Amino acid sequence: MTLKPAILSSLVLGTLLSATALNAQTLRVAVPGSDMGTLDPYRASATLDINVVNWLFNGLVRIKPGQISPEMIEPDLAESWTTSSDGKTWTFKLRDGVQCQGGYGALTADDVVYSLKRAANKDTSSFYAEYAAFDTITASDPKTVTITLKETVPSMLGLLVPYHGGNIVCQKAVEALGAEFARKPIGTGPFEFVEYRPQQYVKLKANEAYFRGAPKIKEILFRYIQSDSSRDLAFQSGEIDLINGRFEDSWVKRMAQIPNTKVDILGPLEIHNIHLNMTQKPLDDLRVRQAIAHAIDRDAIVKFRGTSISKAAESVIPGGYLGFAPIPLLKYDPAAAKKLLAEAGYPNGITIKSIQTTLPAMLTTMQVVQSQLRAVGVNLEFTLVDHPTFHSQIRQDLSQLVYYGAARFPVADTFLTQFFDSTSIVGKPSAVTNFSHCDVADDEIKSARTAGDIEKQKALWVDAQKKIADKVCAIPLYEMGQPWAWTQKLVFDYPVKGSLNLSPPIDETTQLRN
Amino acid sequence: MTAFIIKRLGFAVVTLFAVLSLVFFIVRILPGDPAMVILGDQASAASIAALRQKLGLDQPLLVQYLNFLVGAIRGDWGVSMVSGRPVIGEVLSVLPSTIELTLVSLFLGVILGVPAGVWAAVNRNRIPDVVTRIVSLLGLSAPAFVSGIVLLLIFAIALQWFPVISSGQDTSFSGRLRDLALPAVNLALIMAAYVTRVTRSAMLEVLGQDYVRTARAKGVPAGVVIWRHAMRNCLIPVITVIGLYLGILIGNSVLTEIVFNRPGLGKLIVGALTQRDYTMLQGMIVIYTLIVVLVNLITDLAYGLVDPRVQYR
Repeated sequence: MTLKPAILSSLVLGTLLSATALNAQTLRVAVPGSDMGTLDPYRASATLDINVVNWLFNGLVRIKPGQISPEMIEPDLAESWTTSSDGKTWTFKLRDGVQCQGGYGALTADDVVYSLKRAANKDTSSFYAEYAAFDTITASDPKTVTITLKETVPSMLGLLVPYHGGNIVCQKAVEALGAEFARKPIGTGPFEFVEYRPQQYVKLKANEAYFRGAPKIKEILFRYIQSDSSRDLAFQSGEIDLINGRFEDSWVKRMAQIPNTKVDILGPLEIHNIHLNMTQKPLDDLRVRQAIAHAIDRDAIVKFRGTSISKAAESVIPGGYLGFAPIPLLKYDPAAAKKLLAEAGYPNGITIKSIQTTLPAMLTTMQVVQSQLRAVGVNLEFTLVDHPTFHSQIRQDLSQLVYYGAARFPVADTFLTQFFDSTSIVGKPSAVTNFSHCDVADDEIKSARTAGDIEKQKALWVDAQKKIADKVCAIPLYEMGQPWAWTQKLVFDYPVKGSLNLSPPIDETTQLRN
Repeated sequence: MTAFIIKRLGFAVVTLFAVLSLVFFIVRILPGDPAMVILGDQASAASIAALRQKLGLDQPLLVQYLNFLVGAIRGDWGVSMVSGRPVIGEVLSVLPSTIELTLVSLFLGVILGVPAGVWAAVNRNRIPDVVTRIVSLLGLSAPAFVSGIVLLLIFAIALQWFPVISSGQDTSFSGRLRDLALPAVNLALIMAAYVTRVTRSAMLEVLGQDYVRTARAKGVPAGVVIWRHAMRNCLIPVITVIGLYLGILIGNSVLTEIVFNRPGLGKLIVGALTQRDYTMLQGMIVIYTLIVVLVNLITDLAYGLVDPRVQYR
């Protein structure tokens, strides 16, 4: 009774209203999440924010579109650069003909100086710490920027790609817009900002004056669709061309069945590690940590998460990062685990208290780990909290064991420093995410930073990974990338392996075929 | 009547104050940190501490509370801790969508629910009654996110009459109507279920009254007996239920907004909660409290409209 009129009214409405024709060159993107946070490139850290920033800005240099390795760096706003013999003075020559969007004029060396100073300032940037080694940034003429460093850094050019603080803004635009800049970003990239509708979308249009040529795609509609099912249905019904997926095996398989759809897992990979607090009993005993490592069946966890989206970790940092090397990890061996526990004086097993997030994907993985540990007599207790609480409490050193998945700038230094260098130990003022209190590879991490020679750096990073694995600061579980699906009408001009900003690189060459 | 309204509004101010104070302290007792949300998970403890200082979160709770109260009295609800945008502006930008959705579903729910309830009551224990009861039970039991997905599967995927994304750029009247149709029906089904049930039972009670029997006995046509004599007397419980369940409707509108991707208060408050956006949460709670207080007041006033015997003191 209640349904019949509903169906009738829908019928009437449905026939009355015709679908509005969208611009055929509009790329419609959907991402999980409820709303935009900020599009100020020096503040944007959430995935769905950097996804958009990705298409708006340039850096002095860039990683080849579609690639993620810092070894694939090529010119962007700078057409060439030179380095002093000590590696501390860098001079960049800017290319001609770069216009700021929105009629803010030509980009000059002053804009670049302004941008990098803004990126290095703690009042305006969330990434200022990465630029701590910058001593002076000066413009000697409108086309030349010189940067001097206090000490050499592991990947100088990596700091200047359009990612986080490396994005270049236009001084006039930032000053004219003030706080509004975070909602109306102005860059030099292939697309420019048009409109933001809260909780709905950000609309971008082609930057016809883009220095590499006008983009073929004329408009991007970037939608925030919080509900997983609705987002998938919108893709299925053809209302969305490009969709950021779920970290689920079933999602990948389901999307692959939709006709004319390409599903891909993009880099950079994130690694999921279990960090063990080495300062607390019983985890302060290396044998106990080894026992736990032996008790965990990495392959079973990969099977649980699904082989279409995950693979077994091969080191304590994600694969593909500059400096990564597969290293020997402790094998699944429950008998050895029990033996080690007994040797450590715990023949009857141990109990470990941990804080776990209620995010389903993370919690279910830890439930698998929990059952694997139980088989060797390790009782892993959970205190369940919501995700923001989890993040806050693990940083207060309240969990003996921390399960954490992360992708970082794909250079070993970033990951090693944030997770395994003693300066990052939780509780310290300089703390980041060293939950294990690991300090066994400090020397290698530090030396690599200033080693200068790339081969020497790589060797030091490999040593660091080996030491961290030997002392079992963390137990690597698996790696996974960013699941995306797109209609085959969307054609990239190059192979897409990934993007630092976690959204496929849409640029002047990308097409939407009819 | 004016005195009554003033008195009720006076109570509302007290209620608001109490709710505000409670919310202020509860959100701050919750673990979690807006500074961390803003800076992301690679931020150092020192930069998080610096931002907390900038946001004023390092001050004693009491100082923060007093600052907040002074601001609130002056009409300054502050800016969202995460986006930096004014709370009032954020709320006002999505409030019309939520009101539109709620009112349209309320209207649909009533025009579907009242006749269905009457129909069931008149045909008590016969097939129409059984069918109505089962359908309304479904409406009561199916959570909004389930019925929403079912509607999408039928009308957007199988029949393709409506878009999956109900937040189009088409701001014309027909465009808005199309965007509103499925979410409103989804919410209306729930409202209709409540209204049907209460109308049925109220109508059954009234139909057993002496004056109804008298009217029938003297040959008044059945339609007039039901719609003129009986209906008016069963409106009071129906209005009560509508007022009470408007709160439930708003709660379900959170889920409906999410499933149909409509902008609205629901999405705003869920976002604010996961981001620990204290100022935004405070502003949202005030709006919700205001809505509930106003709806209660309107419900009370509506009693007088349908029943002249109701006195306001």
